[in-house]
Amino acid sequence: MSLFVDIEKKLGDFHLSTCFEAGNEVMGILGASGCGKSLTLKCIAGIEKPDRGRIKLDGVPLFDSDLGVDVPPQKRRVGLLFQNYALFPNMTVEGNIMAGLKAAGKARREAKALAARIMERFYLTGLESRRPCQLSGGQQQRVALARILVTNPKLLMLDEPFSALDGYLRWKVELELMDVLSEFGLTTLFVSHSRDEIYRLCSRACVMTEGVSTAVVPVKTMFREPQTLAACQLSGCKNYSSAEPFGGDGGTGTRVFARDWGTVFACGRQAPKGLRCIGVRSHAFRFLSWDEPSPDTNVMECRVERLVEDVFHMVVMVLPAGAPADSPDARIRLEMPKETWFAYADKNPCGEGDRIRVGVEPEDILLLT
Amino acid sequence: MDWYPLYNSLRIALIAGVVVFFTGIFAAYYVAKLNRVAKGILDVVLTLPMVLPPTVAGYFLLLVLGTKRPVGAWFLERFGVKLVMNWYSGVFAAVVVAFPLMYRTARGAFESFDETLSYAGQTLGLSGTYIFWRIRMPYCRQGILAGAVLAFARALGEYGATTMVAGYTPGKTATISTTVYHLWRTGNEALAFWWVMVNMAISAVVLLTVNMLERKKK
Amino acid sequence: MKRQWGRMMAGMAILGLLCGCGASGGGTEETFARGRQETRALTDISGADQAKGEGGDGQTKTLTVFAAASLTETLTEIASMYREIRPDVELIFTFDSSGTLKTQIQEGADCDIFISAAQKQMDWLDGAAGAEVNPWGLDLVLEGTRLDLLENKVVLAVPDDNPAGVDGFEDLGGDGVGLISIGNEDVPVGAYSLEILTSLGILEQLEEESKLTYGSNVKEVTTQVKEGTVDCGIIYATDALGAGLTVADEAEEGWCRQVIYPAAVLKDSKEQEEAKAFLAYLSGSDAMAVFEAAGFSPIK
Repeated sequence: MSLFVDIEKKLGDFHLSTCFEAGNEVMGILGASGCGKSLTLKCIAGIEKPDRGRIKLDGVPLFDSDLGVDVPPQKRRVGLLFQNYALFPNMTVEGNIMAGLKAAGKARREAKALAARIMERFYLTGLESRRPCQLSGGQQQRVALARILVTNPKLLMLDEPFSALDGYLRWKVELELMDVLSEFGLTTLFVSHSRDEIYRLCSRACVMTEGVSTAVVPVKTMFREPQTLAACQLSGCKNYSSAEPFGGDGGTGTRVFARDWGTVFACGRQAPKGLRCIGVRSHAFRFLSWDEPSPDTNVMECRVERLVEDVFHMVVMVLPAGAPADSPDARIRLEMPKETWFAYADKNPCGEGDRIRVGVEPEDILLLT
Repeated sequence: MDWYPLYNSLRIALIAGVVVFFTGIFAAYYVAKLNRVAKGILDVVLTLPMVLPPTVAGYFLLLVLGTKRPVGAWFLERFGVKLVMNWYSGVFAAVVVAFPLMYRTARGAFESFDETLSYAGQTLGLSGTYIFWRIRMPYCRQGILAGAVLAFARALGEYGATTMVAGYTPGKTATISTTVYHLWRTGNEALAFWWVMVNMAISAVVLLTVNMLERKKK
Repeated sequence: MKRQWGRMMAGMAILGLLCGCGASGGGTEETFARGRQETRALTDISGADQAKGEGGDGQTKTLTVFAAASLTETLTEIASMYREIRPDVELIFTFDSSGTLKTQIQEGADCDIFISAAQKQMDWLDGAAGAEVNPWGLDLVLEGTRLDLLENKVVLAVPDDNPAGVDGFEDLGGDGVGLISIGNEDVPVGAYSLEILTSLGILEQLEEESKLTYGSNVKEVTTQVKEGTVDCGIIYATDALGAGLTVADEAEEGWCRQVIYPAAVLKDSKEQEEAKAFLAYLSGSDAMAVFEAAGFSPIK
């Protein structure tokens, strides 16, 4: 099973333009709220109509502006799990699950049997006559999933499926969902603003920013080597500096100058064309004791600005000594396990205002365009 | 005791109630979907009878339905049916006056509807009709029921427009409200009082029924 | 507009009477006087210039006439005619419903001539009338001056094209007539209508067949006939003429009480001779031509 999407849609000032292909996999779309990911799902489901483009499922066009094809949502066989699950409040659990079966023309007895089977699979047996408002968040999601899967969709789309849940329950439901996804083996689109969820549940993903999506890449690559600033931000990286290739190095082109930090970094690889900035993750920085010998490159002298104690981590805000006075991005956030921090603090003066040295490995410099 | 006004009032209010129930709901449903300008204009037009005196509604009705006016004359000529001064003329008056109550409350209810329920229904293969009657309507039940009751009660108590388009013909167009006025004008206060009591009893029963239905649903 | 204010004042005065039972007689009197002045302001507009034109003696006499509201147009026209021949007489009119005017006179309002739309109100004030129609024994009418001035006919009016083919009162009982509009008992013409239908012996039948629709005043009945929403209506000849309606039939004598407009000079008048003269003019052919043009009939 495969999905091909290449659509454009204008909604006031907002301009959606996305193009991707998904095979028999769980594909993620990572984006902040309002970036157009829900709109994309609605277009695929047929609830919204794109201005232009094509949507194909298993090679069959669902929408094609050139051919004038626009299959109604009822006939697309595309399941969409909404953020709030959209269970029909006036129907029982069983009624909700059987609604789609009845619409598909199944006889009552057959529909009842199918519903009973899927309810058993989703641990809903015994809740048949409950109303949605009498269920827990996790149960509601299971009903919504069962309601979709019982109709045998060709494509499953999940829109922020955990946002209505909190804490512990969220994790539990996520594990359940993983099982369901692997068991049913459907082509699945998973939309979320959480890099962790995308990372855990999806094989490949793209990043969507202000209606525009990037190329789909394996999630591992996406987080290890984000290519753009937006993708890097969504992957959770917190420290950025505008950067340019540094030329004074015999032309190998593997060094970059981080303007906001006033420092030259060796990256161990060729800087890409159109380099705009570099990113370094909070935990990628290493504290160097003053008694250690200084490495040749990738060391910054900084002043400690603030210390913030987290549950398991220490967050240290520092300002590089070479930072230009007016640079807004100069401040760097460092993070490390508390033990590491205390071990370091034992030997080095590192209260607020003290000077420290931090180092970065070349492969931890993320080169962004 | 001539029970005709009671029978006629109930008949007019019930028919008007049913007509207004459906037209009000569909108007509300489609107006809620329109763009802002069209919505604003239609909203004013459809709500106007609520804020205008019923006599103004009656005036406009006569302007359209009167035997010498376009619609009325056509009906008279084509079907030999006189749209005014008949018992069903009261239905026209009641419909016009009660319509905004149904329309307004239904629109308010529809606007509070969670559209994702409709979307979910569509992706599950449910038809638009099914979604409308089995999901949207039950969801908006409270508002729609309230509107229907208000509209029925208003239709039952309608006087101004009714007396203009249907007049007061005992045994033909007389309703409870026009009967009360006639009896009072001609000094038959005792009988007028009796009819007032009948009217109050009906209204009380209607409201009680609604309350009980609501409680049961909960 | 001003006349309506005058009416409102009078109406309020009556309310005051009902509530206060004459306790504040002086105040009520004042209110009446104001109501009349408003009227004078209206009728004076054309008269003032002529009076000046005569210049002369300055001995202008004033006559106050209380008349039924249905005479407003005709009497105003007659007044301007009278001014031509008697520029020295200033006429001040108060138009209102006969019942209201009767009450004002009874309470002592200054009035020289009273013209009522029915005998009932005049009887109430006439010492010569019997006790059953003059229960308070009032004696305010100047002897020998009371006369029946006009008659208003009760007629059967039909819409322009007369769709039901109604040609007379006798047709009302037939199958061709669908709906007949009449005033209710509270409306004078309604009371006459019921008398007529009773005399013709068809009232019960019409009620049973639900062919009678009741208007709450004569104008409503007139409008229903004009709009053709009913097949016919029973109204005054003057209303039918005013609205340009076709008159199918006139009520015959004996079917109902005659609709007589009596007139009389009142005892308290300070200009009794002038008042008698004006009353004579009203009965004369010039004035009667105006009345007849409006649909009234002279007393035979």
